[in-house]
Amino acid sequence: MGPAANAFRQEVRDWLAKHWTPEKQAAHRRKPFKERGWDVEFSKLMGRDGWIGVGWPKEFGGQGRSATEQIAFITEMANSGAPSQAHGTAESIVAQALFAHGTKAQQDEWLSAIRRGERTFALGYSEPEAGSDLAALRTRATRDGDDWIVNGQKLWSTGGDKAEYMWLAVRTDPDAKKHAGISVLMVDLRSPGITIRPSLALYGKTFSAQFYDNVRVPAKNMVGAVNNGWKVITDALAAERVMIGGTRMARIESAFDRLTEYLKTAEAGGKALRNDPVIRDRIGALAADIEVARQFQMRNSRLVEQGKVPIHEGAMAKVFASELQERLGQAALDILGTGGLLSEEADSAPVGEMEQVLRHAIMGMIGGGTNEIQRNVIAQRGLDLPR
Amino acid sequence: MSSSRPHTSEGVSDTERSLLRESVRGLLAARWQPERAVEQSASTQAIAALWRDMAEQGLASLGSDAGEAGLREIVLVFEELGRASCPAPLLGAVAANLVFAAQQSNAARAMLEDLHQGNAMVALALGAFDGDPSAGRVVMRRDTLSGKVSFVEGAQAATHVLIFTNTGVAVFASDAPGLTMQATPGLAVPPFSEITFENTPAMQLSVESEILADVALAARLACAGRALGAAERAFELAVDHAKIRKQFGQLIGQFQAVQHKLANCLISLDGARLTLEAAAEARDNGNPDWRIFAASALAFAGPALRAVSIETHRALGAIGYAEEHEAPRHFRRVHADLVRFGGAPRARAELADALLGPVQ
Repeated sequence: MGPAANAFRQEVRDWLAKHWTPEKQAAHRRKPFKERGWDVEFSKLMGRDGWIGVGWPKEFGGQGRSATEQIAFITEMANSGAPSQAHGTAESIVAQALFAHGTKAQQDEWLSAIRRGERTFALGYSEPEAGSDLAALRTRATRDGDDWIVNGQKLWSTGGDKAEYMWLAVRTDPDAKKHAGISVLMVDLRSPGITIRPSLALYGKTFSAQFYDNVRVPAKNMVGAVNNGWKVITDALAAERVMIGGTRMARIESAFDRLTEYLKTAEAGGKALRNDPVIRDRIGALAADIEVARQFQMRNSRLVEQGKVPIHEGAMAKVFASELQERLGQAALDILGTGGLLSEEADSAPVGEMEQVLRHAIMGMIGGGTNEIQRNVIAQRGLDLPR
Repeated sequence: MSSSRPHTSEGVSDTERSLLRESVRGLLAARWQPERAVEQSASTQAIAALWRDMAEQGLASLGSDAGEAGLREIVLVFEELGRASCPAPLLGAVAANLVFAAQQSNAARAMLEDLHQGNAMVALALGAFDGDPSAGRVVMRRDTLSGKVSFVEGAQAATHVLIFTNTGVAVFASDAPGLTMQATPGLAVPPFSEITFENTPAMQLSVESEILADVALAARLACAGRALGAAERAFELAVDHAKIRKQFGQLIGQFQAVQHKLANCLISLDGARLTLEAAAEARDNGNPDWRIFAASALAFAGPALRAVSIETHRALGAIGYAEEHEAPRHFRRVHADLVRFGGAPRARAELADALLGPVQ
């Protein structure tokens, strides 16, 4: 990581030691699983002390940290278990888009509110007929004076039942070619005409469907020019993928550490599990894969630091890490046996949250563009294979 | 497929490394053309002539001076040998250079001089450090050696044999008394050899086993690099093929089934490259964890590159199945280099040792 990143890492640890106290941690763990990770008060505390926007350019009030330092930050945060989901989407995707496409007024107002942890977002991308083929989206926005009137339906928005604002992709020109008629609006979810219907996803937290019925959104809440939304969305996603990858890797590494720690002393049927040759072989294979995933992630951050956008490299990291998480989850079940099926809420669970690692892996393979779509990107962008 | 690694201050720069790659690739393009590579690989004279040319470029000294070339450069040159299906006797040379750089020896000086001038070619047997329990053992008795070693590469063309023993290394001429050599044909081309010793007089040098283990690990990484070069070259042929071959009225590279397989291959190739380079860089920087990084690279590269090799053939179809096509030689190389020395199962066991402690 290098001395600069290590010193920064220590700074983060010191802050967490002071503010993410054992009492707060215990209180957090007493919450139902689906409520964990989203804590507006803690986000505001982080914002107060400058920990939101660590990677933002200094001109926007960030710390201007390198990609490597950002990954160190994300890793420390994930390892501590401190909640960061409330401000995460706003800090990363929304802010990235505002840097490149926001007006001065938008940047002044929204970026400073996001940096204080006071404006939380969810993503309104997918629709019933637009999943992998996102550009097929049909939610309409039509202009009416100083407002846009939004009608349509969105699906699978993580945090959609908790956030204050939706980062909403809408169709503003139904006659243009499908990528050309899309725009992005920041929609206050407390506006009249919005119905939010959360459902519980397999990994244990909610995602939401939303119905928009003649919802008025001020025109000043559009980010980027009318019909230029596809560029706004893709620009924000590419740089963002590096950071999502960082969070995923930290979770995988901490789950693997817990598993190996357990195996050092665990016994089954009077025999030490650590001596089992099949277990040793699988642990060795997973350790190697974790190193590969880490190298992919580091390549992405090197590319970002060089001012490049990792497209197929980002896709490779995403595919590899999410499928590694699946292998880890499956291996844990085989190694732990029936006990591996128990959740951390069961006192006798051998290693907490291992079955959750597997349930969560599926989101990694589906979310942010399925791994099948990522493989298309790798083939077409990385290998120049014909469309 | 570049790794975009930044310039590092230690030792050789990224620019120097690309120059080294270009010069080795240029030499092999001129001297070891794909059309003649298989035929030349069977010729002791052709290998000896190429080795003299490589020595002239300083490649026979790789490993003797860490300031001039570290493990990254060694792995890089092996990649190029793999790309060109070239059986130049570099493995024995690198092992000899690394061992004798760590342990000065007057007795070895003449042999090293011959080696660096391209007159000597060294075959390497890792003995107890091989990792394959069937690789054989030798017993030192006073000044002679007895026993048998198997799976030795380049033995037929070699002028010398370097053997790792439990107490150090032994070196002798390949025509030494009591030494018999037999080729053992198989997937590896040129074939490995079995060497039997009966009271064979040998020059011996005692070397700490930690040093020998590290040299053996460097040799394993070098062979993985050679497999990577071969797998990558064959993969490039497959990708090019998918861009021109039409079936059912369209390019086969347009089929998603083909695209996804080739995308998986790129993930495997890049993963192997990044971890190999990281392991070699850690060793060059004196990071003691380099052995863990090396085991990770070997544990991943084994199954991953072998799968690339298989997928390459599936993309090339029957066109690539003929032995006169370039692909089969790379298939052979990839498998031979990744299965030997204990292969991926040994590397996984080493990682388990590091994480869980040794089996009790």
